[in-house]
Amino acid sequence: MATAMTRPVAVRSESNTLRSFELRLRTYLAERLHVTTRFAPLGGTRAFLVSPADRERTKGLVIDERMTAAERVYLYVHVAAHIALGHNIPMITIVEAEATEPADEMKHELAERLARSMWWRGSDAEVGGSLPAVRTSRLLRSLVSWRPTRALLRWALVAMRSAYYRTGVVRALERSRATAWLAQALCVAAVVSAAPQLVSAREG
Amino acid sequence: MRIQDAERVSRAVQTLRGRRSLDGLVDRLFDITEGSLALDRATLHRIARGQTRVARAIDTPEDCIRLYFALMIVGCEEDVPLASVVEEGHAVLTGFVGEPLAALIFRDLSATLPKLRDRVALKEYLEEGLRIWLPR
Repeated sequence: MATAMTRPVAVRSESNTLRSFELRLRTYLAERLHVTTRFAPLGGTRAFLVSPADRERTKGLVIDERMTAAERVYLYVHVAAHIALGHNIPMITIVEAEATEPADEMKHELAERLARSMWWRGSDAEVGGSLPAVRTSRLLRSLVSWRPTRALLRWALVAMRSAYYRTGVVRALERSRATAWLAQALCVAAVVSAAPQLVSAREG
Repeated sequence: MRIQDAERVSRAVQTLRGRRSLDGLVDRLFDITEGSLALDRATLHRIARGQTRVARAIDTPEDCIRLYFALMIVGCEEDVPLASVVEEGHAVLTGFVGEPLAALIFRDLSATLPKLRDRVALKEYLEEGLRIWLPR
């Protein structure tokens, strides 16, 4: 291929939980939905999914390399929703951009709704079971549902994580349930901050 | 494969190759298509000059589609204006496979193009399009 494959750049502020969740979802797309993913500079386009004429062959998802792990997590769920809805018609490319073409609005809206449901209810073990501690927490869901509390929660979690690492408490508590919960809460807060439409259509 | 409009295909190849020599174009096409197009130099020279209607190395519609994507990628690399890349790419495909099949393949590019913001995104789209048409 003309362009060398690139890997997403690890951002220091992105948590390991978030990055490993992103990798798990990417693997899920490859293994279960036969979508290969690569990263490239796409200018103003976020991503596109190219579907081959032959349904047996893998689909190609190209993602703008500037997207964060949280944005990519949302994109994977959204793409999985498009595929679940059968939008990946052979030789029809689905483009994810800032502005949606009027002709595609309905399709993206349906995928958005399904993505929201997949994210919170978990239609699949990989999407639903990867963040078990927070998926069932009503408290967390209500905190991330409202923009001010979401921002506050995220700030508090980042500060706690930073204190954990700075003080060395992380070594003592790294296997505790509370630490796992907080790490997953930070992951969810990051994804919902990147894609507020996951909590409310109005916010998106 | 029999070329239906050798003169038009010749013009399209000449436009899309930009400043590349024909030998350089053959090398680049071979590279882009990962060696899946067995297009020899002599044949490409004759196609580019409109001197032949028969491209023996391009045997199947899949070969034609790969050539279509690969030539447009070269056009992007050579800074050929986007409108020309698309128009000449369509001309190559039509010249090889005829309008009905070309229209089917071209439909996706026509629909996708307005959603892609720039040349970089178009080139990535073409590369992904080529990848899914490469032999398994």
